[in-house]
Amino acid sequence: MTTHHPKTPLKMGIPIPNSKLGMWLFLGTEIMFFTAFIGTFIVLKMGSPGWPTDVHVTHISIMAGGINTFVLILSSYFVVVAHDAILGQKFAKAWQFMLWTLLLGFLFLGIKGYEYSGKFAHDILPGHIPESDKQAMDKVVRKFGEIVQSRLDTALADTKLTKREDQKSELDTKIAEWKSKADLTEKEKAKLAEYEPLQQMVNEYVNMKEHVRNNWSMSFPLVAFDQYRTMDESSDDWKKKYDDWKTANKVEFDNGNLKDLKEYLDQDGKIGPVTLHEVNAKVVQMHADPKLAPLVSSLQESHPILYGNLFASNYFLMTGFHAIHVIVGLLMFGLVLKKGSKLCLADAYFVENIGLYWHFVDLVWIFLFPLIYII
Amino acid sequence: MSDHEHGGDEEFHSHGKLYFSIFLVLCCFTGISIAADLIHLPNRAMLAGIVLAVAVCKALCVMLIFMHLKFERAWKYLLLTPTLILAFTIPFALAPDVGMHYYTQTAPQIREFEAQQAAGGGHGGHGNPGGHDAHPAEAHPAEPEKTH
Repeated sequence: MTTHHPKTPLKMGIPIPNSKLGMWLFLGTEIMFFTAFIGTFIVLKMGSPGWPTDVHVTHISIMAGGINTFVLILSSYFVVVAHDAILGQKFAKAWQFMLWTLLLGFLFLGIKGYEYSGKFAHDILPGHIPESDKQAMDKVVRKFGEIVQSRLDTALADTKLTKREDQKSELDTKIAEWKSKADLTEKEKAKLAEYEPLQQMVNEYVNMKEHVRNNWSMSFPLVAFDQYRTMDESSDDWKKKYDDWKTANKVEFDNGNLKDLKEYLDQDGKIGPVTLHEVNAKVVQMHADPKLAPLVSSLQESHPILYGNLFASNYFLMTGFHAIHVIVGLLMFGLVLKKGSKLCLADAYFVENIGLYWHFVDLVWIFLFPLIYII
Repeated sequence: MSDHEHGGDEEFHSHGKLYFSIFLVLCCFTGISIAADLIHLPNRAMLAGIVLAVAVCKALCVMLIFMHLKFERAWKYLLLTPTLILAFTIPFALAPDVGMHYYTQTAPQIREFEAQQAAGGGHGGHGNPGGHDAHPAEAHPAEPEKTH
């Protein structure tokens, strides 16, 4: 078969068309661009003992990565076959192969989007990941606070109150008022049914926040916080003072089971620290409560991931830039496909150049797949 | 395509069969990478060695055949050698400072990791205290929870 490809004009220098030279020079810069990311990733990983490698932690799907690898390899094959076809002047065939490449590129982005959605759903995002138990507890409290504020703003929108303390006070006042009334209107009954779980949620929030802020075990009742703070633990009479205070305030802990403060103290006379296990257990408990569950459904347990933020930054940087390159490649294939039946031998150079670009995109993924998904 | 095929008057030979065989080889290499992960090799270094070696082989297949470097003339060395030298310089330049540490690190993550190790192996060496629980729906009661 004879090609009628226009001859490259004789010139000094490298014996390839300028466009191809330009593409290779561009790919040279691209190699350095991606090697910088990949090299940095490897070096950071080397220098970070405890880097997250468990796919259940990082929400990396080897299956999705493997399928995407196959998709890119197949698309690379179609590109090279399309170029082969265009040189053989089988233009319709070449057009079809490039269409397949385009579709496979979209499939790649779709799978990547699915993976990204998992990262967003589990908040595996740079700067969002707790790296210690304390950070994980703070994250739960902060998220809980946002939920509480949002629920209060919605429920008490007509009161124009914006401060959380004022809203809570309004809630308590209204509930007390309605509970003391003998006959409630239907509207009041409905409001009471709406406000009571809200009040319970706010109380749970305050309870969790104070325990985490003070770093006191959640088994130690919130109601005893102030008293504990004022007691001099080293003195002999602190126990008596505590008993007096309990009697005076008619304090009942743990659903009526009055316990001695000493039972909450460790051998050094201190209250044990709050643990992430306690905080997460509280979240689970609220999810199991039929009244609270609808209100706190978006509150999730939190678990630290050591170097999770560095991992997420690297992951999104590398895969994000790769995805941008895929999109650019698809745009270029779109340009060629737009020609439709006008595709001709003169387009062979352009097809070759975007083919080179597409193979490079495949090449980058060939290294990203084992580095991110397997190792 | 390589220079000689763009020459114009010479006969065009399709490389369809070669491309298809390379495609199959690439699929096999991908399968090897996934299999190496699934069979749970005794150590991570071995896994890393295998999958990176496979990645290099795949990259060579793509560059030599799909990107036609095998058929190109010597200009490819002129163009790619400086690029590759510069590219590989980056990790080697960063490694002593960031990756290997000639000084004592004081990052909070290091202290956390050491505390995990002291407390009992850092949850399977994943560097992730209770990290499996990133699945909120999944409970792993058998694994003790880490406390301060």
